[in-house]
Amino acid sequence: MPRHQDLKRVLIIGSGPIVIGQACEFDYSGTQACKALMKEGLEVILVNSNPATIMTDPEIATRVYVEPLKVPFIEKIIEKEKPNAIIPTLGGQTALNLALELNAKGILKKHQVKLLGADPHVIEAAEDREKFRNILDKVGAKYPKSILVRTFEQGMRASEELGFPLILRPNYTLGGGGGGIAYSMDEYKRMIANALHESPTSEVLVEESILGWKEFELEVMRDYSGTFVVICTIENFDPCGVHTGDSITVAPQQTLSDREYQAMRDEACKILNEVGVQTGGANVQFAVHPTTGERLVIEMNPRVSRSSALASKATGFPIAKIAALLAIGYRLDELKNDITKVTPTCYEPALDYVVTKIPRFAFEKFPGSKDLLTTQMKSVGEAMAIGRTLQESMMKAVLSLEFHPEGFPEINYQVEKVSYANSQRLFHIYQALRDGKTVEELNELTQIHPYFLEKLEEMVQFEKELEKLALDHVTLLRAKRLGFSDALIARIKKIKPTDVQKLRDQLSVQPRFQQVDTCAGEFASETPYFYSSYWPTFSPAIKFNQPAVVIGSGPNRIGQGIEFDYGCVRGVKALQKQGHQVVMINSNPETVSTDYDTSDVLFFEPLTTEHLHEVMKWVGAKGFVAQLGGQTPINLAHNLVSRGYKLLGSSLETIDLAEDRGLFSQICKELKFQIPQSAMVSTLSQAIEMAAGIGYPIICRPSYVLGGRRMEVIESEEELVSYFERHGEAISADRPCLMDQFLEGALEVDVDLVRGEDWLVIGGVVEHIEAAGVHSGDSMGVLPPQRLKDETCQKIEYLSSELAHRMKVIGHLNLQLAVKNDIVYILEANPRSSRSVPFVAKATQIPLIDLGIAAMLGVRKDQIHPEKFNWRKAPCVSVKGVVFPFKKFSEADSILGPEMKSTGESMGRGQDYSEALMKAMLSSHMQFHPKGEVFFSLRDKDKTMMLDIAKTLKSMGYTISATGGTAKFFNDQGIETLSLRKVHEGRPHCVDHIRSGQVSFVFNTTRGRKSIEASFDIRRACTDLAIPCLTESDSVEAFVLALKNARKGEIEVTPLAKMVEL
Amino acid sequence: MNGYLVLETGEIYEGRWQGGQARAGEVVFNTSQTGYEEIATDPSYFSQIVVMTSPMQGNYGVDQSVWESQKMWIEGFICLEIQKTKRDESWLHKLTENKIPLVSEMDTRAITLRLRGGGTPWGALVPAKTSQEAASLAKDLINEKKKIEKDWVYLASRHSLERRTGSCPQGPRVAVLDFGSKENILRELMSRCSEVLIYPSRTSVSQLLEHKPDGIMLTNGPGNPEDVQVAAGTVRELLGKIPIFGICMGHQILSIALGAKTYKLKFGHRGANHPIRDDLLGKVYMSSQNHGYAVDPQTLPPEVCVTHVNLNDQTVAGIYSEKKNCLGIQYHPESCPGPHEAGLLFDYFIEKMITKGKSS
Repeated sequence: MPRHQDLKRVLIIGSGPIVIGQACEFDYSGTQACKALMKEGLEVILVNSNPATIMTDPEIATRVYVEPLKVPFIEKIIEKEKPNAIIPTLGGQTALNLALELNAKGILKKHQVKLLGADPHVIEAAEDREKFRNILDKVGAKYPKSILVRTFEQGMRASEELGFPLILRPNYTLGGGGGGIAYSMDEYKRMIANALHESPTSEVLVEESILGWKEFELEVMRDYSGTFVVICTIENFDPCGVHTGDSITVAPQQTLSDREYQAMRDEACKILNEVGVQTGGANVQFAVHPTTGERLVIEMNPRVSRSSALASKATGFPIAKIAALLAIGYRLDELKNDITKVTPTCYEPALDYVVTKIPRFAFEKFPGSKDLLTTQMKSVGEAMAIGRTLQESMMKAVLSLEFHPEGFPEINYQVEKVSYANSQRLFHIYQALRDGKTVEELNELTQIHPYFLEKLEEMVQFEKELEKLALDHVTLLRAKRLGFSDALIARIKKIKPTDVQKLRDQLSVQPRFQQVDTCAGEFASETPYFYSSYWPTFSPAIKFNQPAVVIGSGPNRIGQGIEFDYGCVRGVKALQKQGHQVVMINSNPETVSTDYDTSDVLFFEPLTTEHLHEVMKWVGAKGFVAQLGGQTPINLAHNLVSRGYKLLGSSLETIDLAEDRGLFSQICKELKFQIPQSAMVSTLSQAIEMAAGIGYPIICRPSYVLGGRRMEVIESEEELVSYFERHGEAISADRPCLMDQFLEGALEVDVDLVRGEDWLVIGGVVEHIEAAGVHSGDSMGVLPPQRLKDETCQKIEYLSSELAHRMKVIGHLNLQLAVKNDIVYILEANPRSSRSVPFVAKATQIPLIDLGIAAMLGVRKDQIHPEKFNWRKAPCVSVKGVVFPFKKFSEADSILGPEMKSTGESMGRGQDYSEALMKAMLSSHMQFHPKGEVFFSLRDKDKTMMLDIAKTLKSMGYTISATGGTAKFFNDQGIETLSLRKVHEGRPHCVDHIRSGQVSFVFNTTRGRKSIEASFDIRRACTDLAIPCLTESDSVEAFVLALKNARKGEIEVTPLAKMVEL
Repeated sequence: MNGYLVLETGEIYEGRWQGGQARAGEVVFNTSQTGYEEIATDPSYFSQIVVMTSPMQGNYGVDQSVWESQKMWIEGFICLEIQKTKRDESWLHKLTENKIPLVSEMDTRAITLRLRGGGTPWGALVPAKTSQEAASLAKDLINEKKKIEKDWVYLASRHSLERRTGSCPQGPRVAVLDFGSKENILRELMSRCSEVLIYPSRTSVSQLLEHKPDGIMLTNGPGNPEDVQVAAGTVRELLGKIPIFGICMGHQILSIALGAKTYKLKFGHRGANHPIRDDLLGKVYMSSQNHGYAVDPQTLPPEVCVTHVNLNDQTVAGIYSEKKNCLGIQYHPESCPGPHEAGLLFDYFIEKMITKGKSS
């Protein structure tokens, strides 16, 4: 049957800001779905609060709303747009929960909106663990013994019955939030209280442990006629106990026999039918006992998920796109396989290669947090690689993490890094094998299936053989077939990596390129989606047309995420519009850029010089774009240029000018621009000496870092000593430490601009809400600026343009500036598209990426008409909000500083600043409690300023509490304030008070390592209890402004206008 | 030692010789991700060298209980990687113990694309030092192999009656004409029947009906259906008199008995992921496939309906005639390896074709 004819307009809900457990895979799924539905002639209304997404580009849907994903706003959109239906299965748990809420509140019924792809009882059946267990009983599936707990006391009884270790799974949370494994009663008591709090329904499933069992996931689809297909089987390298999002996984499954696999497949089908999934994608997770083969069901998600993005990339089957088409009434056999173009979509992909996914973590960003992996997801990104064998794909995936060109460098093996699951475990296992540990020993320590460990052992054994062997054709080919990088071979043979490359060229040991074709070669396929391998004897004969290569941004990490994928995807389209064939190279399976639909030719490859070189050689690249994928391609530009490839846009000299602090400050001096006092030092004694000249406070950071890694504000010599103690290993003569004067209280701004040969467009000036000292990625921002004087703003534009001209930028330039006492200081220049570009483009309707591409291609002023692009004409006020992952890192501090910690951003658009703030903060999950108590703990200098805030809040009906000093000050000024003890003053103290649930908001400003440590418990309590906690006086002001707006209860929504045409 | 696959058309592929005995056969590829042991012991692979497209083989060990017959029927096993560690090299051993040539480190995708593009030629797997040496060794093997009896079904079939008691005392008695049956067809029948009688392929009508069966099962089997002797005539005589269910070769023999013609597919269907539209059960599902020939729908008599279609290439996947009470299925409802959805067709045979026929 063709699609439902009564459907004209469909609403798609996105997944909001990137958080751990819900990242850009939902941009991929939503964008795919929008494209497919638009092609079907439907009007698609999209809502998402995340401006960094491709899906919120106005071109993607009929109308795009960047609004908070909260019921009142969605209802307003429904009233305005009157859609016939909502597809809630493409925006992760956020969209699914929102759909449930809309349904429960009768809003869908009231406006006659259908839910497509999943109805409420399906969502509940899969999400509500008790209902789900009943379903499993009905189909005869087994599951771990468990007890549903609603109170602490029930929790205690459950632990007696089941015994330790215990797994806690709160209902209705994403990424296993609030869950974990408890090994002892002490641990368990703390965790159960937290888990009950985390679950929106206060329900926690306490489960017997299946630690050490093999873990599998089936990605499946079903259409309304009941046709069921398994798109991909995924097996976890890490056995049960580690969240699947944090596990290394391989596809297809490797250790199940046909009998075992088919039984699992049958069970998945029965579960889907019984849960009542009518159409769409879903996944079912299983545990299998390593020796008895006993099979248990872990969970099932009735929606497109992170792993379905992975499965789509791994197999070439576009799950989200097909899910959208099934939702509007198609059957699988009515749709064509995109890749082969001749066979139908109802098939199960056959793979003649192996796919490995390795997560990327950010524990180093959260000092104090333990690098331990549990059932709660903590990874911030992932890399995927394809090889003909598990070894080749595993090694490529390791290289894709961009840690080390050797993949597995020599490290110091630590047994606890093997026996406890952690982010470095794979590397320590590999090292353990080098150090002579056996597969049996490692299996004993890790319960990882020996099948996987043996594969690693073979690689290690060959490393040893290689030391003795001559590098002839046979040996080199064997090494490359194991996935060894040139750098690893070079290290083992004690030669240079470039020599290995030369040798490979001489002996013609070259990778071949193979197609991902969904069918293991059974049918001819046209789709140009490739991976490299040293196993094949040929590459398909393809004629390339001197393509332009866009290098992606690799696995998401804090500081380099979806914003850069936005740039890549938009850049690909812009290049195509200018008539170029475009090759995309990336290693991140969550992205839109790695959709084979995005570019003309897609390569799934590690972003290393070696792999990029081989691809670019094969396709005969005309040139490459390094400005769009963040720091990764910028770091590779030198090596690629030296191998003879043309860098499009800004030259290497321009890049060096920006990256080399010495050169950069020299230019600034030439141009008579102010820069903060600074120095470069490589030892502590040098540092102490230079600090005297600069004067405290000082910002310290090692050079060439991204996202402010190891960057700290240093207030005193004592702290400087401590800084060198902690970070000394990252500082040396060739990697000096940068010391910059810290402009206390300065206003920071971001400028994004594009420069062509003879033209320049300022994309926008974003004013940070927090003062200098908070990393730009972590501070909220507003466009147009609200506090900046107009003349200062003009000066900023002038300075930025001058700098761009002087640096001979062609393409993007991002500048970070600070304003203090009307003096503009230049802090940093990035000769590339930045994190703020998508936000700026959406706030101003200026297609910045398209302009950047035009600049790189040499388009002249008379074709561009730069005057068309005026950021001051932005139709409304836009505020960028930020989202942090502190909740996932139980020991981490939520205080903001120069090191970036946020994972995602939101955008609030309003007629005025307060409305935009309110929306941005709502989207960042701030809750505006209409009444209650506000707790202050302030450093001295903020007290006077906060007095007015306290007065305002009092007049709004809130009560005030504060720590001793602040309370006395407020009381003295006539504001009735409850005085609470600081933590060291004994109990009950302010943290007890906060944890008792009596406080609605916390304002806690502090500076200096000691005071920060002393007030840590306050902020941690807020993180645990989801109480808004603001740590900067400026953000407190903004918050109160937003709070006032929220209390008005007026809700307006407006769609994004189209971008200005190039 | 190098191992070579030499095709009669001249192409030579090099890999690593892992043991076994040099042999020749028709070269075919299979895209199943799992099921190497079932495939190697499936009599339908008689005289064939199998290229597995899935890179890793032997990865989950061996299990005699999944064997689809008493022995291995393939003439060779080609893969990219073979499990070979101290802990487990059981599949490698199993193959080589049975003198099946095993060559790994082959560019299986290159071979697959060759077979897809130019059909499935004869070839030989030989150990050799050079490709020239391999070519000459292979030539003799292929020529010798081509001399075998054309009726492969006869070679794969049992040669005396085998009676098995089913687990369902109330169920019907079914006579099986063995064309090289997979064990799981028999298992499926036994779980639904009181007795299963398995006859050699050239059994006469009177012998077949001797024990008064309620239905006839025609099994899978190797080779060209047009070279099979006796069976089509036998089935023709039975048409309309007793419910008949044919699978794979059985389906082709049934079609020939009905007056249809078969033809050779370019490279056949071998895998576990082919979509079938089943109008009899009213479903679309995945199926297990292994066949090199197909029935030409144009040649089927009007009272026979094409009820099952392979959606990949629209070839005939099954036929049904209500009047003649016969059902032919080109793929493998008994699975092993492969998905189980089509297993319901055994119920259809027992419940709709036999039991209902008896009660009316």
